[in-house]
Amino acid sequence: MAETMSVVLNVNGAGRSVSVEPRKTLADAIREDLGLTGTHLGCEHGVCGACTVLMDGEVVRSCLMLAVQAGGAEITTIEGIGAGDDLHPMQRAFSEYHGLQCGFCTPGMILAGIDVVSRNPDPSPQEIREEMGGNICRCTGYQKIVESVQAAAAIMSTEGGSA
Amino acid sequence: MTTTQETRWIGVSAPRREDAPLIRGRGRYIADIEPAGTVHMAILRSPYAHARINGIDTAAAEALDGVYCVLTAADLEGIGDFPTIWRLPGQKESNTPALAPGKARYVGEPVAAVVADSRYMAEDALDLLDVDYEILDHVVDVEAALADGAPVINEDLGDNTIIEYTFPGINALGVAGDIDGAFEEADEIVSGRFKVGRYSGVALETRGLVAEWDDLRQTLTLHSGSQVASLLRTELAAALGIPETSVRILTPNIGGAFGNQWDRYPEDILVSLASMKLGRPVKWIEDRREALQATVHGREQLQEWQLAASSDGTVLGLKGRVLSDQGAHLHSVGIGPAWVTGAAAVNQYKIANYHCDVVGVATNKTPNSTFRGFGGPEAMFGIERMMDKTARRLGIDPAELRRRNMIQADEFPYFSPGGAVYDSGNYPAALAKALEAVEYDKVREEQQSLREQGVYRGIGIASYIHVSGFGPSAILGILDYYTGGYEGSTVKIDPHGRATLYTGMIPMGQGTETTLAQVAADQLEIDIANVRVVWGDTDQTPYTGFGSAGSRSNVAAVAVIKAIEEIKAKAVRIGAGLLEADPDDVAYADGRISVKGAEEMRSLTLADVAQQAYWAHKLPEGEQPTLEATYVYDPANFTTACGTHVAVVDVDIDTGKIDWVKYVVVDDAGTIINPLLVEGQIQGALSNGLGGAMLEEFVYDEETGQLLSSTLMDYLVPSFTDLPDFEIHHLVTPSPHTEGGFKGMGEAGCFPAAPALANAVADALSHLGVEVDQTPVTPSRLWSLIDQAGG
Amino acid sequence: MKPAVFDYSAPESIAETVDLLAEHGSGAKVLAGGQSLVPMLNFRLARPAHLIDVNGVDELSYISANGALRIGSMTRLTALGESGDVARAHPIIPAAVAQIGHRAIRNRGTIGGSLAHNDPAAELPAVLMALDAEVTARSADGERVVGMQELIEDRLFETTLGDTELLTEIRIPAAAAGSSFGFREFARRHGDFALAGVAAVITTDGSTITQAALAAFGGTHATRLPTAEAALVGAETGDAAFAAAGAGAAADFPSTSDVHGTADYRSHLINVLTVRALQDAAGNSGGGNG
Repeated sequence: MAETMSVVLNVNGAGRSVSVEPRKTLADAIREDLGLTGTHLGCEHGVCGACTVLMDGEVVRSCLMLAVQAGGAEITTIEGIGAGDDLHPMQRAFSEYHGLQCGFCTPGMILAGIDVVSRNPDPSPQEIREEMGGNICRCTGYQKIVESVQAAAAIMSTEGGSA
Repeated sequence: MTTTQETRWIGVSAPRREDAPLIRGRGRYIADIEPAGTVHMAILRSPYAHARINGIDTAAAEALDGVYCVLTAADLEGIGDFPTIWRLPGQKESNTPALAPGKARYVGEPVAAVVADSRYMAEDALDLLDVDYEILDHVVDVEAALADGAPVINEDLGDNTIIEYTFPGINALGVAGDIDGAFEEADEIVSGRFKVGRYSGVALETRGLVAEWDDLRQTLTLHSGSQVASLLRTELAAALGIPETSVRILTPNIGGAFGNQWDRYPEDILVSLASMKLGRPVKWIEDRREALQATVHGREQLQEWQLAASSDGTVLGLKGRVLSDQGAHLHSVGIGPAWVTGAAAVNQYKIANYHCDVVGVATNKTPNSTFRGFGGPEAMFGIERMMDKTARRLGIDPAELRRRNMIQADEFPYFSPGGAVYDSGNYPAALAKALEAVEYDKVREEQQSLREQGVYRGIGIASYIHVSGFGPSAILGILDYYTGGYEGSTVKIDPHGRATLYTGMIPMGQGTETTLAQVAADQLEIDIANVRVVWGDTDQTPYTGFGSAGSRSNVAAVAVIKAIEEIKAKAVRIGAGLLEADPDDVAYADGRISVKGAEEMRSLTLADVAQQAYWAHKLPEGEQPTLEATYVYDPANFTTACGTHVAVVDVDIDTGKIDWVKYVVVDDAGTIINPLLVEGQIQGALSNGLGGAMLEEFVYDEETGQLLSSTLMDYLVPSFTDLPDFEIHHLVTPSPHTEGGFKGMGEAGCFPAAPALANAVADALSHLGVEVDQTPVTPSRLWSLIDQAGG
Repeated sequence: MKPAVFDYSAPESIAETVDLLAEHGSGAKVLAGGQSLVPMLNFRLARPAHLIDVNGVDELSYISANGALRIGSMTRLTALGESGDVARAHPIIPAAVAQIGHRAIRNRGTIGGSLAHNDPAAELPAVLMALDAEVTARSADGERVVGMQELIEDRLFETTLGDTELLTEIRIPAAAAGSSFGFREFARRHGDFALAGVAAVITTDGSTITQAALAAFGGTHATRLPTAEAALVGAETGDAAFAAAGAGAAADFPSTSDVHGTADYRSHLINVLTVRALQDAAGNSGGGNG
């Protein structure tokens, strides 16, 4: 076993010190060391978007970062979206508009959707398709995800609801 | 507590009960399961397409800190492999081994396995395994594999032909048609040669397993994403040589399966064996490169068809030869998909004279097995392209040619010369509705005016049938398909009147849990919130003959209905005793058990009766306590979903780029349980179908035998901007073959997708005479066709 | 797909970084945005003994528009694409950046990382070639300035920089008055690496083309297109000149075959895309995929 390093990961508002090998990806550390398994691994080479998290408010691929690089950053995973039983509008819309089937891409999709709406409060279907192209879904054919994000944007513009 | 209410749940777009954990990141997928003491497996896979393994030096890997064991083929003494369950007459035995025994036959074949403290360490150990490979000549093309002097993939089989199977085209009277006569009589004979590309489900979640051997109880628990846990349990126990009663399969959330998870895999054996050997939990999570190399591939066929037509467009006969590229070994279903291609190729048309030879061919490629559609989409590609070629040759509109040949609504049940009995449908009506929705005449006019402006618009029609709901079991027996076609359901009413439904179905994203709860709530006439669905535990759920597939909810739903009928009858008998009435005068309605005509006065809730059933103080003579029933339903026959799709595209003739204009779907899957989920299934299946039509392909290098598409940069799945919005319409022709009239529908969307696209592209380029006969239709391939045609 | 073991350093200054490079030499690899390197680590296609993470070197992240445009090598692609200074000086840059990967990739990926990784299908090496950019390379021995063509030569997945050199800055000379650009690429999906692409910057005196700088990507390496440029300079803007440039581009293009397309197809694409990019430049419009 190679030497480990200590790093404080600030995830969903809580800081935790973990001891990891430098080679450990941020995604693996979030899943294994913090036990937050909502961040999924679909490809480990930055194509599928299942491991999407927000870092200082911006979407990043957690499979393409090392855990030791994330000290000092504020990270939000799917578990940090919505407060308790009070779901985020994006989460509600995905369920209501059937924007998920197997659910494996869903955490990344919801975070990507929140990111899109945060930059463009009233996105057109075409804008959603272009902006979310980095997240892959194999189940839905995307149409209902687009509808979900549009619906969430409408709710968010009236009730608010940033990440 | 039973609330009575008015809602009928069947036909309602009920929101999914599956969603709540998934949208919060609280789903539980295989990779999320990690019992205390778990160690991790990684697998060494062959880097060569064909190579003898002269030895494996494991010493350095075994000496690495944190490594628990290394498994090679030598450690599998006494361990069996998984049988091919579909064993057609004449099919040579060519089971997939757990570890390559002395010879690796495709890139990605498991050669050795390592177990270590972490996946990181296990991969470090793989680096230290030293395999002495002797590289052999390889073959990755079906025609080359059949040629004289081709490298033989499996010496025990003699050559690379695994099976030659003939469909003689037997009609309803049990006699073969006159195929030669049809071709002699024809005014036109149209030929086509089609390459259906190799692609697969490529679920976003890769496969994974956690095996836990319990030394105390001498039991093996395998956490698996298998779609057919019962069969996995049976076959795994046999392979490991332990009693089936000692094996429990637990299924968590599945991140997509698409048929690929219907199969049994080498890793099922490897993790179980390692756990038994080490006495601790062993976990293996497939990585993406492994997923592309070693989860089964699908589709790939080379088809040659000839169609005999009279000048008025009547199809007189169809004959073909289908070469199915099976890869290096037969996997769980053998050449099953290719057999279905032969059975389904006559599609919606009255083709009296039919003949088809299906040949299963071994190549140095990943096994080709179960994938959403299962041979049907391949069949649709061939026949629907042939219909368009024929229309073009005869100068008849492609919609009209189809209409003239379709089986009519009053001709069901229809005995197809492919061997299936079509139960019901209205093919011309679906076609008409699709043409109306797409505004066919208007689009044809626009096509002309746009072409003058240099815009090449094409319209592609593809009609389909989807034979689903495999059963009854006796027919599977006739087909040498060694499993049953039934589904079981157990329903238990608790003393408070709530229902628990146990199903062998495995939800994998299609909303099975919600759908079955809807059926149960409707039958019991109780609130859906009071129905719990238990799935994914072979210790609790009924044995399933066939397991979960995209098109099996129809069969499972009937098992639920039948079990609940028994429960209601028992509730009426018990209730009648309590109400001091004759059972004939008591009825179950609105979730209550009441004396007919005195519902206000003499009535009990389901909970009242259930409580009594559990107390068992005042049961009628001979009545067993508690309130539960099990029903195992074996369907009367297959169901055939059907419909027509129309694709409209623009082709950039300078780049070969295809842009979507419109996509219209008319489908008929009988009675619909949940319209929202049905739409989701159609759209998702279309994305699988169009993915293979345009983007997805496992490409092998002829020179090296390497799989070139082993990352998601090279194997391209559709993203948001690659698919159109789908406009979906339904016809509802209930199936007479199932109670409730349900037909399987989860796969149908992928059936006509590729031919609709290919027909549209060929139509856009009709002025050049371009024919689109290979999938996927990549820009490079399409430009090459345009270039050769002088465009 | 987990990385092999490596040692890790996270320097906070250029000086510290170049010392580490001097110490570890060819065994070291610089980790910039990581959007190409980390996949290679995960696949174990890259196995550096020592990883030097420069994400904490703040002095590498800046955009300065005093005179020539100067961009620190650790400037993220999102920042590059959204910079008003960059858009005013060279609008071709944000047009190209919009075609790179997806938002999450651009949030981490850097301009210097893209150049150093030098994927032959990447946009920025070709765009910066067309803009006659230079890069500065620092080592423990000092600093040198290298032109884009000298940096890339005919290499792929490596540059002419030495093992101990750190790419620190990209300098782009001011655009000529009256210049306009076209940027076209063809990818199978939005955000994918291109099968072929072209960056074109032309200057006219109204009707005659006085300068032309064209560079292509998607072949075996990023390259200027001298035959295409020669066909343009001195010619009247219009279809005839553009067609000649397209043919010239196809002749210059180092085409190659892979799973996504044949060499013939890509050579044809360069021709088509060059014509379209020049039409865009003539019409002062942006550009895009296809």
